Amino acid sequence: MDKYSNRDDLIAALTEDVSPVKRVRSSDGVALIAFATIIAAVVSIAVYEWWDGLLTGEASGYFLITHGLLLLLGAASGAGVVNGAMPRVGGQSSAAFWGALMVGVLPIGAALSLLSGHGNHAHEGLNDPVALMCLTGSLSAAAIVMVASILWLRRGAPVSIERSSWLTGIAAGALGTLAYGITCPLDTFSHVGLWHVAPVGISAVIGRLVVPPLIRW
Amino acid sequence: MRSTVWVTVSSEQRLPNMVADEPTFARLMIGAQDGDKAATNVLLSEAGLWLERYFRRRVPPHSIDDLVQDVLIAFYSKRATWDQSRPFLPWLAAIARYRWVDHLRKVYKHEGQELMDDDAVEDSEEEVVMARVSLDRLFGQLPDRQAEVIEMVKISGLSIREAAEKTGQSESLVKVNIHRGLKKLAMMVEKAD
Repeated sequence: MDKYSNRDDLIAALTEDVSPVKRVRSSDGVALIAFATIIAAVVSIAVYEWWDGLLTGEASGYFLITHGLLLLLGAASGAGVVNGAMPRVGGQSSAAFWGALMVGVLPIGAALSLLSGHGNHAHEGLNDPVALMCLTGSLSAAAIVMVASILWLRRGAPVSIERSSWLTGIAAGALGTLAYGITCPLDTFSHVGLWHVAPVGISAVIGRLVVPPLIRW
Repeated sequence: MRSTVWVTVSSEQRLPNMVADEPTFARLMIGAQDGDKAATNVLLSEAGLWLERYFRRRVPPHSIDDLVQDVLIAFYSKRATWDQSRPFLPWLAAIARYRWVDHLRKVYKHEGQELMDDDAVEDSEEEVVMARVSLDRLFGQLPDRQAEVIEMVKISGLSIREAAEKTGQSESLVKVNIHRGLKKLAMMVEKAD
């Protein structure tokens, strides 16, 4: 809109055009991101097939803990994305930060476990034959969640672009990996600790680099 | 149902210290979200006054009206994002700060381009905005070498060469320090709560 020489003229012009607006509600954002995660899970199951071991009790504790932490991180960062669309000063939650730190412990533990030779040798962990599939599968699922998050932020009015971009990447990575993870039958600590956490870091960096120009207003 | 009649008052008719309070803003904003023209008009006028005060401590006088208009447009187009269960003024302040940072970023880009062009001697009024923003508080957080040359070149109007001679830094280093210092200032403003 053009600048007016007189503020009263601008106000008169804006007032003339005013019409009722549909209020942006946080619950809409939560629903959108949750829906995108479900879509990502359905697509993952369609492509890679559901792993029965999740229901039969075959899944290891490492698998359940890792994906439980990804769910918490996804919820915390997703809430950050939702709130980031509503302008406010201060009062930003640090839940996603602490969640990311907790999840960050997993690859360190997995690497130490490999180095100390628990069951496998280090090169086996790094040469994991399905690692690439888990990375691409998780990142593809993350892309769906990321698109939904960006649409939400564009509907809102994010005022902390950098923070919202990081959170978008982390939420997409965590929820996307969770959505893909239910199809992966490999449940060793070295596999899930490395290859089901790496997509979160990669997605976070992608979010930081790609999202800002898309949500700036 | 109780109806409210909003009286439109132009900015020239207002007493200088009259600014609406939080509950009044919230009521007006609900009206604006519902498409009430009178409420929108009063709201925009009141918000304009509030923003004028907000920017008075942050930018030079000649930039205030541009920024106020900019925020009013942003505020109007994003009015759907105010949540009625939250206070209005922090919402408005967040938008004002966002547009202010955007304004700084534009000035910074222009500034960076000029330094690249090796033509930083003649400053326009607009460029000085960056260096004058909350100087005392912000400059305290910059390394001395950066604050020193920004102050010399962007406030006192010295040339790059003169600043280099005074500080003992090379001309390239003066440019780099101005460039990095201004970037850091913009980041500090953006991250401040």
